[in-house]
Amino acid sequence: MRRLIQAVLGVTLLILLTSLTALAQSAEPIKIGVYEPMTGAMAAGGQMTWEGIALAHEMQPTVLGRPIKLILVDNKSDKVESANAVARLVEQEKVVAIIGSYGSSNSIAGGDVAEKAGIPMVTDSATNPLVTQGKKFVFRACFIDPFQGEVMAKYAFHNLKLTKVAILKDVAQDYSVGLANYFKKTFTKLTGDPKSVVAEVAYQTGDQDFTAQLTQVISSKAEALFVPGYFGDAALIAKQLRQLGSKIPILGGDALDAPELMSIGGKAVEGVTISSFYSAEAPANEVARKFVAAYKSKYGKTPNANAALGFDTYNMVVDAIRRAGSTDPKAIRDALATTKGFIGVTGSITIDENGDATKDAVILRVENGVFRYVTTIHP
Amino acid sequence: MAGAIEHVFLYRDPSVVARRARLRLACNLVSLALAAVVVHWLQHNLGDYPLRILNLAAINVILAVSLNLIYGFTGMFSLGHAGFMAVGAYVAALLTLPQATKDVIFLMAPLAWPFNVLSAPPIVAVVAGGIVAGLAAFLIGLPVLRLRGDYLGIATLGFAEIIRVVANNIPSITNGALGLKGIPNFANNLWWTWGWAAFTVWFIARLVGSVHGKALLAIREDEVAAEIMGVRLTYHKMISFVTGAVFAGIGGALLGSLITTIDPKTFGFMLTFNILIIVVAGGLGSITGSVITALLYTVLLEALRPIEAGWRLGPLAVPEIPGLRMVVFSLVLLVIILFYQRGLFGGREFSWDWLIRKLERAAAGTAATAGAVERRTGATADAGAESEAQATRPGGGWSSTAGRGTETGGRGGASKRAPKGT
Repeated sequence: MRRLIQAVLGVTLLILLTSLTALAQSAEPIKIGVYEPMTGAMAAGGQMTWEGIALAHEMQPTVLGRPIKLILVDNKSDKVESANAVARLVEQEKVVAIIGSYGSSNSIAGGDVAEKAGIPMVTDSATNPLVTQGKKFVFRACFIDPFQGEVMAKYAFHNLKLTKVAILKDVAQDYSVGLANYFKKTFTKLTGDPKSVVAEVAYQTGDQDFTAQLTQVISSKAEALFVPGYFGDAALIAKQLRQLGSKIPILGGDALDAPELMSIGGKAVEGVTISSFYSAEAPANEVARKFVAAYKSKYGKTPNANAALGFDTYNMVVDAIRRAGSTDPKAIRDALATTKGFIGVTGSITIDENGDATKDAVILRVENGVFRYVTTIHP
Repeated sequence: MAGAIEHVFLYRDPSVVARRARLRLACNLVSLALAAVVVHWLQHNLGDYPLRILNLAAINVILAVSLNLIYGFTGMFSLGHAGFMAVGAYVAALLTLPQATKDVIFLMAPLAWPFNVLSAPPIVAVVAGGIVAGLAAFLIGLPVLRLRGDYLGIATLGFAEIIRVVANNIPSITNGALGLKGIPNFANNLWWTWGWAAFTVWFIARLVGSVHGKALLAIREDEVAAEIMGVRLTYHKMISFVTGAVFAGIGGALLGSLITTIDPKTFGFMLTFNILIIVVAGGLGSITGSVITALLYTVLLEALRPIEAGWRLGPLAVPEIPGLRMVVFSLVLLVIILFYQRGLFGGREFSWDWLIRKLERAAAGTAATAGAVERRTGATADAGAESEAQATRPGGGWSSTAGRGTETGGRGGASKRAPKGT
């Protein structure tokens, strides 16, 4: 009996697999590959990015008179899977360009495969400078950590007139250590005092209790705390800092740009000031206004920065294909490299010689539980 | 153990034993040569994507077989594999990174001595990665190998986490959370990965088959009894633990080179659990099981991708559901564990004995029909005695090194599939 069940199971599985692989084949359109973390630790970011990409595809489904077909491959928030995913997109699916991935480590692994295959890849939100470094076929639609660190340091020094700042970073996140590093560099240069960063303390992803670090921050007499981490940690940090009786302002990066910051942090995150890619409240241009409206009607919520970047990345790639006038990956790559003043939701994007986007950053502040636009900072 | 003892006593005739050893060697050499031809052909005819999957499969073979030595053969529940892999990967990466890359990627703190001047060819770097991982295992083994069962598991898991945290916090060597990139891609080559995998299998199979291997099995079955019989517990446990770690380090080094970038997050505990799944699903104490399951595991994960891409089956339309392949994959694992409670191979190993027996019988048959005389009768008698003896052994052509209980379930299922001598 068991043999019979085993045999039946085996045969069904085999038939299923072969029929699936056969069915997955399809006709003529221009194929653009997308690899994002749809499952795993970074799934939230990957899914929001995908929503933005899918919306952009819906609004602009053709180029050069041919339909565009998006091929989404999940990378499970994992490096090895990212490399596999890109190899699959290149070889199995024969895509002409690749979008992805949320998470710099995924993009570094995937970018290497794309570079070798000579297929252009545009990453939506990987801000680690190593992603595009030394690569001819890898670009990005977001700004890089050095720029963001600089923006926040300038804002803290010029606008907030701060001279003594503490940093609380997440040592396990490349994003966080990178941002902290560049913030510190710029801030100490601006103040001319290497001791102007009065405390630099660290925690690790997963930590829940920050009182030891925060006590150190408070006793350092810092005028503000810079938290270049993710929204969940930042919300807890804000809560615990207020519980300890400190009222110093909290500054952060684009990873705080999520509604969860307010839902977790509540009253404690009031006044938190961050740098980000765009503001849904004060759209920079016509494209952004259309995007926000379309996104709200499709998904019933306000788009965050990742959705906006996904949207922009898709449009940037399609724009490059149009300007290249062909689907030759090499031509698309050249068109991408000469992207200049591309108007996206997140502002005007110009690709520099490293493949990085030069673009504006916005400063947002939490007021009454929502992010309010404060100002725009130009590169 | 029973199987192994029978094995020794069954073929007492020295000339028969010697002839069979020669035949086995011949079979091994022929299959190795065949494998080499296949590898050569695949290397030149496959695209980057299937090659990448096959390379990954070989690395998983190395990792699974090395963990099987520690857990399956010695019974030490170790969850430190990701830690050893991290050590091997970082050492090999730092030794093979080109100077130009070293100069540009260390954005936070410059690379510390001696890694800023050291560099080595890939083969040396991989070996060095393995050796340093082995050293780490020796140091951590001194205190923790006194622990047993779950306690050892927790201690080794702690070690792996320590490695990860240390890697995060010494940016002048590991580049912290930014990770290393631009590692030379030498391991994206079947000769490299499968060569190392073959070496791993050969080495660990030899170790398990040796006197030391018997000691390891004894420790697994009953530590107290083994010690009473004169097995040096710490010494043998250390041999197993360090050997496993060396190969884990080699696997880590190859993995780093395959994906060309590593960071501390790569070596989280999920990595260890993936390997553990392979080892348990393949069968504890079966190298064959680990090899075949590692191959199936890696290939299946990729082969299932079309499932989540959205498809139609007649009237049934399934939308794009990321993560669906993991659901199907989990179901497959569930079925395996339900039907083969001791893993696919349940402690059984592949061996050439069935083929040899067939050959001998064929030889005896021709000899008989040709009416051959005296010189051949020895062999005929021997083959006859053998087939009698074989009836008492359920494994058929599969030699068994496992002896954990004789419960039915998976064991019965697996032995039915085993090739029969006749």
